[in-house]
Amino acid sequence: MFDSIISRYPFIALIWWAAAIASTVVAAESPADAGAAAAADSSLTTAVEFATDIQPIFNEHCVACHGGVKQAADVSFIHRDAALAVIEPGAPEDSLLIDRITSDDEYEIMPPAEHGSPLAAEEVEVLTRWIAEGAQWQQPWSYEQPSAPEIPETGNDDWCRSPLDRFVLARLQREGVSPAPPAQPLQWLRRATFDLTGLPPTAAEVSAFSADLERACDDQAKQERVYAETIERLLASPQYGERWASVWLDQIRYADSKGLGLDGRRNIWKYRDWVIDAYNDDMPFDEFTIRQLAGDLLEQPTIDDLVATASNRLTQSNDEGGTDDEEFRIAAVLDRVSTVWQTWQGITIGCVQCHSHPYDPISHEEFYQSVAFFNNTADSDLGEEYPILRVPLESKNNDAAVNLDREIRSLEESIWRRERDVVSDKNAHWRPITELRAEADKQTDIDVEIRDGTTEFFTTDTLSNGTTITLTGEIPAGVEELTAIRLTLAPRNLETAKADSEWGFVLSQIKASLLVPGEDVVHVLLDRVIGDEAHPFKDPDQSLNEKSRDGFAAYTRIHYPRTAVLVLDKPLAINRASNLDEPVELKIELKHSVNALGAFALVSRRGSLAVSDVADLQAQLGGEALVDQRERLAKAESQRKEIASTKVPIMRERPEHLSRPTHVFIRGLFLTKADRVEPGVPASMPPLVSAGGENADASAGSPPTRLTLAKWIASDNNPFTARVAVNRVWARLFGIGIVATEEDFGSSGERPSHPQLLDHLATRFQGEQSWSQKELLRSIVLSSTYRQDAASRPGLKARDPENRLLARGPRFRLPAEMVRDAALAASGLLTEKLHGPPVQPPIPAGIWKPFAGDPWKTPGTDDPDRYRRSIYTYTKRSIPYPMFAAFDAPSREFCTPRRLRSNTPLQALTTLNDTTFVECAEALASRMLNEHDEVGDQLRFGWITVATRDPNTAELAALKSLYQTCLDDGDPPDDAMQAVAAVLLNLDEIMSK
Amino acid sequence: MSQRETLAQSVVRQSLENTTRRNFLNQCVSGMSAGMGGLYLASQMAGSAQAGFQPQHAATDPLSPLSPPQPAKVKRVIYLHMVGAPSQLELFDYKPDLNALDGKECPQSFLEGKRFAFINGTPRMLGHQYQFSQHGDCGAWVSEMMPHTAECVDQLCFIKTMQTDQFNHGPAQLLCHTGATVMGSPSIGSWVTWGLGTENSDLPGFIVLLSGGRLPRVGKALWSSGFLPSVYQGVQCRSQGDPVLNVTNPPGVSRSRRRQQLDTLDTLNRESYEQYGDPETLTRIAQYEMAFRMQVAAPDVMDIRKESAETLAAYGAEPGKESFANNCLLARRLVEQDVRFVQLFDWGWDTHGSSKGESLNHGFRDKCKQTDQPVAALLKDLRQRGLLEDTLVIWGGEFGRTPMRENRGGGTMAYMGRDHSPDAFTIWMAGAGVKPGFTYGETDPVGYTATTNPVQLRDLHATLLHLLGFDYQQLTYPFKGLDQKLTGVKPTRLVKDILLDS
Repeated sequence: MFDSIISRYPFIALIWWAAAIASTVVAAESPADAGAAAAADSSLTTAVEFATDIQPIFNEHCVACHGGVKQAADVSFIHRDAALAVIEPGAPEDSLLIDRITSDDEYEIMPPAEHGSPLAAEEVEVLTRWIAEGAQWQQPWSYEQPSAPEIPETGNDDWCRSPLDRFVLARLQREGVSPAPPAQPLQWLRRATFDLTGLPPTAAEVSAFSADLERACDDQAKQERVYAETIERLLASPQYGERWASVWLDQIRYADSKGLGLDGRRNIWKYRDWVIDAYNDDMPFDEFTIRQLAGDLLEQPTIDDLVATASNRLTQSNDEGGTDDEEFRIAAVLDRVSTVWQTWQGITIGCVQCHSHPYDPISHEEFYQSVAFFNNTADSDLGEEYPILRVPLESKNNDAAVNLDREIRSLEESIWRRERDVVSDKNAHWRPITELRAEADKQTDIDVEIRDGTTEFFTTDTLSNGTTITLTGEIPAGVEELTAIRLTLAPRNLETAKADSEWGFVLSQIKASLLVPGEDVVHVLLDRVIGDEAHPFKDPDQSLNEKSRDGFAAYTRIHYPRTAVLVLDKPLAINRASNLDEPVELKIELKHSVNALGAFALVSRRGSLAVSDVADLQAQLGGEALVDQRERLAKAESQRKEIASTKVPIMRERPEHLSRPTHVFIRGLFLTKADRVEPGVPASMPPLVSAGGENADASAGSPPTRLTLAKWIASDNNPFTARVAVNRVWARLFGIGIVATEEDFGSSGERPSHPQLLDHLATRFQGEQSWSQKELLRSIVLSSTYRQDAASRPGLKARDPENRLLARGPRFRLPAEMVRDAALAASGLLTEKLHGPPVQPPIPAGIWKPFAGDPWKTPGTDDPDRYRRSIYTYTKRSIPYPMFAAFDAPSREFCTPRRLRSNTPLQALTTLNDTTFVECAEALASRMLNEHDEVGDQLRFGWITVATRDPNTAELAALKSLYQTCLDDGDPPDDAMQAVAAVLLNLDEIMSK
Repeated sequence: MSQRETLAQSVVRQSLENTTRRNFLNQCVSGMSAGMGGLYLASQMAGSAQAGFQPQHAATDPLSPLSPPQPAKVKRVIYLHMVGAPSQLELFDYKPDLNALDGKECPQSFLEGKRFAFINGTPRMLGHQYQFSQHGDCGAWVSEMMPHTAECVDQLCFIKTMQTDQFNHGPAQLLCHTGATVMGSPSIGSWVTWGLGTENSDLPGFIVLLSGGRLPRVGKALWSSGFLPSVYQGVQCRSQGDPVLNVTNPPGVSRSRRRQQLDTLDTLNRESYEQYGDPETLTRIAQYEMAFRMQVAAPDVMDIRKESAETLAAYGAEPGKESFANNCLLARRLVEQDVRFVQLFDWGWDTHGSSKGESLNHGFRDKCKQTDQPVAALLKDLRQRGLLEDTLVIWGGEFGRTPMRENRGGGTMAYMGRDHSPDAFTIWMAGAGVKPGFTYGETDPVGYTATTNPVQLRDLHATLLHLLGFDYQQLTYPFKGLDQKLTGVKPTRLVKDILLDS
């Protein structure tokens, strides 16, 4: 049924192709067109270009010693200022650089013989010319803002459906290569369907498309409409979001497990669903960026805005016993920095952790300025993954939930502020306890001394699990009534702890009593504990709950002194009448039941006590307004609990008074810190812009935040963001990016094959397309460039094996997810259900041996969850799903800008023998048998289903022969057809798009 | 509009093609070889200003055997990793002074500036838990826990002064096997198979065998190919079930049926090649044939029932079990078949004293009993078969253990145990290229830190690569803007003193 279309359509399409060839030749002959083509290619101009002609020489011969890492003799060829030490602009004869590279003296010559051979004559010549021309310096190409390039004239408007085609064709014309003929319509349909949805077209879609084309007859405009409508259908399908989300998840290193330690489950799939929805809703890429990097800092963030920030919580954490939370918190922060630069900016910055960038203009200190944007989030490698957000399981409840959350947070804030005001120094007249004794049980040693005028207890040496510290202090003279007690707990070293935090504490239980000489011990009833932050991870009041191990805490690290106020249930009179000589004492017992990671006892290290005798404290704390707010809070919390939710780790800033300063790490080691830095971006890039539109350097107004950074990345003025984004899309469609090194747009990365095409796409993406990825894709997949036939041509195969010239359509092996999804789709097994917790399809026996817990529960063959799309498969970092690992999917430890494609026997064994593929073969065989009565039709149906085209005679004959052989061997038709179906599912053609 | 090229036009076009060809080649740093080779070469060259050694595998086989760039003593490696870190102080590092200090408080100088996993405050010193004696002509000290290994000391080259900068298992194991402390970098075996390919294309070039009942905690990240192509990842083989994943045909598919299927597939894929001319298609055809051969070769090599009763007894191997003994025997069978890199992990050496299993006085004894005889049998077997001539065996853990007794949570532990200690641990090597009956490096009088000739893990990596014929500085792969090396960026040295020809 398809034959007629296939044979007819190329004829129509040939019109374009013939036109293209003709005008290629015309263009080469026409001076005007040749000039236009030349102008489009800067490499043909004669002036020396720093980026193309000079920087590669420096990179190859010089920067190993005179670069960002080593700056021998203080000479560096990364920045012009530093290079001017040996360069005299305009005067090569006075430039030491030229003397040294041309010297005859074996001790003078650069590079020294042991570091490399002398520069070639042409290199010396071009350097000389460049200096003579003024030694103009340029940033690496990608640091320059792209401007919309002029669209070249190709003299062949017929071939060029889209402006981007003109850039491609102009280049082909210069190379003297003609474009390939257009792909067969079904080849294009297959390609576009995979590219946009990650699935092959169904038989029904193939028929409908063919029928539409047939109806369009020879009318070119109608044909175009059929193509355009197909794209609209694909872009509108929910599978679009699933396909493109899987690309993004590689960038953002999405996994369902924590990484190091036990690599236990991390409940973060709501973020994956957010990404799918963002693509399906065509959220503009600038918004997509801002929400992920700083959704929590937006005004009135929604549940979705907060879930988006989970992108930063996909870092590896470590809950192995005996690991340092601070060490792995920092590792996560550095990974966030690295991932942001890598994913959004195409800049490799990991190496700048230890030293200035070896090639690119980014200094060691600037790396830590980037770190400073991320160093103040509340997360700290905790097993509980705090901070977490309760995300409604059903998104229809998001609005109700976020309204309650806002109310809760606002009430918490307001209550806390009021309470803090009541117990402030000014209001509560705190009287320090100066006579203090301290005891500790277990092996914990404790002592008391006066430090800076304050009487403090402090622990030394070993801190035992479960330590109870008992403090006994004299009630200061003149205190006639006790209303509240203030506990200040501090790190051992107040100065260093700000940057090098110490292990914190959890006050699991607090008891207080009054010792009046000659009387029974009076148990002091405590009503509440007022902590020093509005939204603590652990509720301070739990210190008064005997059944809970939680309570007021610096969890798990302490940077600054922390204070808690213990409020008595009612004022307690201090009766000194009986014996004036002996003081009345207050006894406080602090029980610490929590340890971190099985190793570190979270015990108070140092602290002091004060008391208040302000008589109406209780009355103030029990004022109507506060009582009312507490009631509203309780009500809101109970309403919120009604909304079924799942807990997702998100980003939140620490309160300002507890913020961590950021320092440069000497040689990248977190234990050795140098100067303090403030948030900022490298000087080689456009400045940060504050909300008011002015440059936001640290001195002006409020310091920049993650939101400032996010907006800077998502701005039209950022030279990288749009280029990197369009290049990523291009690479997924064509198999290789315009910049092949998708991960590196810096001077050590590969330069773009089509610089102007890249800038055209980038500026259009930012401008006309308003950062819409659907618009971008629409413009590419309908272009003539994309619509070329994929067959390689004899002459070009050797010359351009990777199709960098774009002289044919793309053809390459599908990524892992698509290989599996295509088999499920072709066999009819695929469950098309969006969203939800990760699923666990069949896995070979013996593979799933997690270090602890986390069983793999494969749904039965009657359960649709057995056949979900690959993006929903549970991703555990330490045990990658074997099929994905065999097909080059990364295990998502960190950002993977692009996957390499390998071709191995283990892949063959997987698609031949793995349970999922065997079940697919079985299902495909029964589909084939059920769909038609004649064997020939059955085989043809199977073929079309997997390959999106009719088989040719030889192909059909090969299938028939196998089928017949199986029957001859006595196989029943089911088995024989399954043998055929297995072959179909292993065709080179099904593995390729 | 002219549809045909005139002769004049054709000449112009030809000349344009010629003059711009060089431009084209300069601009597109794409590989000239086709297919896989091209892809690898392109990705390797990109951004690599000073490219080092670049393995050039055949276009259709990314594991094709290659000669190393330098003469090599070692062709194959068996790496025995005792997961959890065996105590050097109960095995090979004899310190008479430590016994004298047993039970005394640890001096503060040992604790200043140190970070520990579990030790808290001031712990007490812990003497050797077992008796040591000298063995062999070389007089090496070995504890009573390893009597069989003790008989082999004249073949062993000990390094007593291994150091690492990690004291938690996950990061330390990663550092040991990938040179990095977080997941995502290639393991030693991946670097080696990338650099050398494998001599036996019917088997994977890099095979991993596990025992002890548990996967190491970072799992497959220890044999991951990281940023190298996934074809170089370690392949986990098992003595139970499918020896290699999916190597068994599904029920009802006989070998002859599979052959018929592959013949059909071959015909069809050749059609596909005719149509698209994609060299990957040819590679794919070759991979299916290799898979077909592997279906015989892998079960065959993994079947230890083929060994004599004497051999099984020598190793203490029992067919059908998952054991370290079986894995040692398998390691010999695999290197005999020219598998390039065989990696064994044996779990259960983390002797903190926190439970009976994790204690020096119980669990540790069991681990020694399970591994001592098989290791000795492996060494003898390899030697008898001449395989030690060009095979290197490495034994070790991820760090050492403290000379102090662990006092987790500031209390006294129920059993005898030691905490993690990164500054000194013992490994040994045996076989090609290293000095037999030799000990390198010396630790302080309590075995806490290296006093002479410390060896970092990266130094070990460099030395291992050297033995395999690589300059560790040259075996690089561009990733994240750096020419990545197994040895990382810190200063590294070759441990020449342990090499036979030094």
